[in-house]
Amino acid sequence: MEELAIETSQLTKKFGDFTAVNALDLKVRKGEVYGLLGPNGAGKTTVIKVLCGLLKMNGGSAKMLGTPAPSKSIAGRIGYMPQETALYVGLTVRQNLEFFGSIFGLGKAKVEARISELLKVIDLEVWAKTLVNNLSGGMKHRVSLACALMSEPEILFLDEPTVGVDPELRASFWQYFQNLRSQGITILITTHYMDEARHCDRIGFMRNGKLIAEGSPTHLLESTRTTSLEDAFLEVVKEVGP
Amino acid sequence: MNFRRVLAVTKRVFLDLKNDKRTLALLTLAPIFSMTLFGLAFSGEVKDVQVIVVNLDEGATIPLIGDVVFANAVVHNLDTEVLAITTSANLSVSITELENGNAWAVIYFPENYTSEAILAALPLINTTSYLDIYIDTSNINVAESITREVNEAIISAAEENGQQMPVTVRATPIYGSNVEFMDFFVPGIMCFVVYFLTTLLTLITFVGERVSGTLHRVLATPLTEAEIVAGYAITFSVVGTLQATILLSYGILAFDVDIAGEIWLAFLVIVVLAIVSQALGILGSALAKREAQAVQLVPFIVMPGFLLSGVFWPLEAIPVWLRPASLFVPPTYAIDACRSVMLRGWGLDMVWHDVVALLIFAAVFLALASWSLRRRQ
Ligand SMILES: Nc1ncnc2c1ncn2[C@@H]1O[C@H](COP(=O)(O)OP(=O)(O)OP(=O)(O)O)[C@@H](O)[C@H]1O
Ligand SMILES: [Mg+2]
Repeated sequence: MEELAIETSQLTKKFGDFTAVNALDLKVRKGEVYGLLGPNGAGKTTVIKVLCGLLKMNGGSAKMLGTPAPSKSIAGRIGYMPQETALYVGLTVRQNLEFFGSIFGLGKAKVEARISELLKVIDLEVWAKTLVNNLSGGMKHRVSLACALMSEPEILFLDEPTVGVDPELRASFWQYFQNLRSQGITILITTHYMDEARHCDRIGFMRNGKLIAEGSPTHLLESTRTTSLEDAFLEVVKEVGP
Repeated sequence: MNFRRVLAVTKRVFLDLKNDKRTLALLTLAPIFSMTLFGLAFSGEVKDVQVIVVNLDEGATIPLIGDVVFANAVVHNLDTEVLAITTSANLSVSITELENGNAWAVIYFPENYTSEAILAALPLINTTSYLDIYIDTSNINVAESITREVNEAIISAAEENGQQMPVTVRATPIYGSNVEFMDFFVPGIMCFVVYFLTTLLTLITFVGERVSGTLHRVLATPLTEAEIVAGYAITFSVVGTLQATILLSYGILAFDVDIAGEIWLAFLVIVVLAIVSQALGILGSALAKREAQAVQLVPFIVMPGFLLSGVFWPLEAIPVWLRPASLFVPPTYAIDACRSVMLRGWGLDMVWHDVVALLIFAAVFLALASWSLRRRQ
């Protein structure tokens, strides 16, 4: 049996009467890049927040790394890049990275090593001493990604990590994600860029809080007899009905 | 609780303050600004109050002593720093002036002021001498000052004339023989400023953390709610101590404030107050969805601290039914303790109940603050 990094069963999240995540069964294997795709309001962010313990689930259960989730005991092994650029804008790039390193309990030397490596990845070495407030939107997004990577997590939640990032850097991000995967890191990523979803090992189409189709990009294209994931999604929607 | 993570939060909050020049200025200059302003405005005395004296006293002749005009002696004894006196011989014109708002009071001595006073002093004759004060009581402070000044002048004048007052009140100061308004004021304003700025700053910072998503972000890491609260508490107790130091130094340099007791005790109180205040700010942040909403909470922070803590008005001036409310306002205890230490020179043996009350507030508010962060939608 393959080991699962993330496993939810009948996971449900309601906001009042509104069901944002509806009895979701999601299985993400270890070392896999899993893409959650779906329209605005599909519930992608909500799934991630529930798994990170930021929202209470109303039903079902979840497991991560073999432990019932959410749990503080595994928080140190998980990286989370929120959809909004959640950074301390009054701190410099470096100070942000140092802070996230230290709350994960990394030692000084480790923090330094991680910072110099990640600054290269996000290509912001010369901006290290700049206040985050003075960066462009895309740059902030890159810093946010680096903060999520500081602790070398085993599972990485990336909520739209490439929004507002220029095409060149986006390509290099995906390169880096592949890199992380080859180190055995599990990545759950959401995106609206259908073209870049091709890079995922598996994709889950999500709508109205439910998975409506799942599979590798090639599988999804073949089964819907389409040539782009965008068309594949529309095709699936047609099949499933409103 | 992991202390290294707590310190990481502490350091981060410090950096945030340090990098933000405006907040830094707020934290250091606001105490000085408020102390200067309050110190000058509330110097405790009413000055230069316009009054009109209508002195028609014709005096009298006392055998062996000669002519006396008691009214002159009274007028002579009026404190001209407090009262700006103009004289007039016409009562009705003066009253018109008063009604037109050109004076606060008309002090009127009738023709028989002295003669009646002399008669009143004689045994067996039952009469009283009157002077009239027509007074604009639309400002109660001014009105009270005028009445007090006139009464004091009458007593002084009588003593000058060798009249015996039936009773003399002797006040013997037990604490603070030379207490001036600022001595009384500085401990209060120290507590108030630390309370207000700390609460306000944590409130705004924390609403910011909620809005920007950083709070959620760090809560997804091993950092716990209690560690966040503790990290903030350390930062703000240091900041509170710095503010108290600034205020105290400034009070000593600019206003010549005396300190009777052991100052470390006052600082201890301020530190605990700062911890209570930052927890209050965190708690309050749960009620605001945006920064702008945080501003709406400000009156609820300022007003109780201002009116119910005894910083300006003694608690005795609050209606009896309302007084218990002051027990729920943390600055009340801090102000009481700091005044007792700085003015009366009391030690921990005397102010311990204030310190204990503050510690209880701290424990309860810290617990509530981390509980409020632990709640999930
Ligand atoms: N705190 C909240 N209170 C009430 N409703 C919420 C809350 N958060 C999310 N929702 C609702 O839950 C639904 C799913 O939201 P979610 O943010 O998970 O969507 P998403 O798939 O991430 O969308 P997007 O692609 O726009 O990021 C939406 O309809 C949203 O309005
Ligand atoms: Mg989303």
